[in-house]
Amino acid sequence: MRAVRFHGRGGQGAKTASRILGTAAFLEGFVAQDSPIYGAERRGAPVAAYTRIAKEPILERGLIIHPDLVVVADASLIHDPAARVLEGIDERTAVFVNSPLTGEQLRTQTSLPGRLTTLDLTEISVREFGKRGALSALLGAVAGRLVGLRQDSLGQAIARELADLSLAASVIERNQAVALNCYDAVRPVSVEAGASQPILPAQLQPPTYEPPTRGTARISAAANSVLRETGGWRTFRPVLVPDKCNGCWLCFVYCPDGVISMTKDDKPLIDYDHCKGCQICVHECPTDALVAEREKEGGVAWRAK
Amino acid sequence: MTWQRETFKKIKQIPREEHVLPGTSLCAGCGGLESLRLAAKVLGDDVVYVNAAGCFTMLAVYPFTPFKGSWLYTTMGSAPAGAQGVRDALDVLIAKGRLPKSENLKVVVLGGDGSTYDMALSSTSGAIYRGLDFYYFCYDNEAYGNTGMQLSAATPYGARTSTSPCSLQHPFATMQEKKDIFEIWRAHKPPYIATVAPRYPLDLEEKFARAAKVTGPKLFLALSACPTGWLYDPGETPEVAKLAVETGLWPLKEAINGVVTHTYVPKLSPVETYLKLQGRFRHLFEPTLQKEAIAHIQGSVNAYWERVNLAERTG
Repeated sequence: MRAVRFHGRGGQGAKTASRILGTAAFLEGFVAQDSPIYGAERRGAPVAAYTRIAKEPILERGLIIHPDLVVVADASLIHDPAARVLEGIDERTAVFVNSPLTGEQLRTQTSLPGRLTTLDLTEISVREFGKRGALSALLGAVAGRLVGLRQDSLGQAIARELADLSLAASVIERNQAVALNCYDAVRPVSVEAGASQPILPAQLQPPTYEPPTRGTARISAAANSVLRETGGWRTFRPVLVPDKCNGCWLCFVYCPDGVISMTKDDKPLIDYDHCKGCQICVHECPTDALVAEREKEGGVAWRAK
Repeated sequence: MTWQRETFKKIKQIPREEHVLPGTSLCAGCGGLESLRLAAKVLGDDVVYVNAAGCFTMLAVYPFTPFKGSWLYTTMGSAPAGAQGVRDALDVLIAKGRLPKSENLKVVVLGGDGSTYDMALSSTSGAIYRGLDFYYFCYDNEAYGNTGMQLSAATPYGARTSTSPCSLQHPFATMQEKKDIFEIWRAHKPPYIATVAPRYPLDLEEKFARAAKVTGPKLFLALSACPTGWLYDPGETPEVAKLAVETGLWPLKEAINGVVTHTYVPKLSPVETYLKLQGRFRHLFEPTLQKEAIAHIQGSVNAYWERVNLAERTG
């Protein structure tokens, strides 16, 4: 069996990528299983998805704790403890990261163990589709290459899964073509089946009763959401060109998260620890004084406080 | 009669201080959060938010809160009932002298359209009937957004949702018309109702400032353009809100004791400009242009504004 774990941010396509991989394996006659997991959070929040591929019926269910391949759609997730990217990774695990850095550069920056390979899928997506998200077909094709699936089955799987999302035929064709280029471009690393983990009998833990004063979730702090930094959600950051700014306040007014404040001389000050990178300010700036810049690797790291 | 803003005349009158702090896990580019943040600039910090389950559940994910004031979480159907309890508790404490009058709090219900148009309708009706002194803030993104964009009673005709997909039987996707919650509320004759859109911030702030002078139910319907569910780039949230207003699909208005005034006269651009921007209406344009559906949407907008013009001419 090959166990593949995908990590991405909501909207990047990790879930669909896991489906594409599962469908492609199924089309080649394998038994496949895929399932995503995400919390109540939405776009930009960490998402994981799991695909199991085997020749025999798969009896395992649920989360993949010891993956053979990990596909990371967003390098900023590596150090986000909530995303648990590093869980169960050791020297034999193959790891793909969507990053402009090479595997070696990434290893020195992130201390990721395993056999690393990278490709800058975001760059390809921006260039080919003009979009920041939309990585599902690309991630699926790369994962398919690494586990050794064929191009034709991946192409077919992409068509099926993207059609399920009601995408236009022209968009699907474009995705297939670009995804198969990524299939060729990624440097393969071998993905080996790990030693099977002993299956332990399930243990039932009866919940203990707590009175409502203790059992109800109560937050006894005020305005502490600032401790959660959402800056890692961005693929692009808004950057001020001070000479062009006419101090009109529109960016400050329209920012949904309130991360733009105006200085005394009416220039916007952006809180990059929390800016989610929606680009509303860039779209609405009447003088083009705010421009979108691609986040650079290591430029912003999610920090837990 | 043209509507005049009295308190908020210039954009730089919008208070600098933030009352909904960053770090929430709502989507990037959330139109609902954009409205709430602007509303909170008038509401201030002395508030108890009573939050019906919905996207705004994400405002306070344990153990974090973006508010300096209080936040109480309720089921989808019972936020106005929760607000009644909080209001009564405050009133009793003040009457008994256990809470100084200066520490009185505003009670604000936050509900999505799923809650507002469906499940909480009877509890809202009861609260208005009892004359409860509270604010109701409905962030309307025209579907059950937090669970994956299922059809709600606020979903407009022709929009595609995950439970009203475009199919051979239903080529226009949603066949139902959006429920007119404004008129349902207005039939109760509460002292203040208004629709707002965050792309028109001065109109929004002015309405909250006007409502602050009123005792009793004050209800707001906020257009909440939703990049995740309406399928457009998050950066286009204000543009979508602007087109919703300019095409006449989202009239900006208020009703004081049941008497309606439109607070902004839109250009009435063709509805296509609004529909085309969003993936949820893409099936109306490709692979075949669904002229009938677009004409139907345009027809209802035209009929609405004809009624408005007639009513305002005859006074």
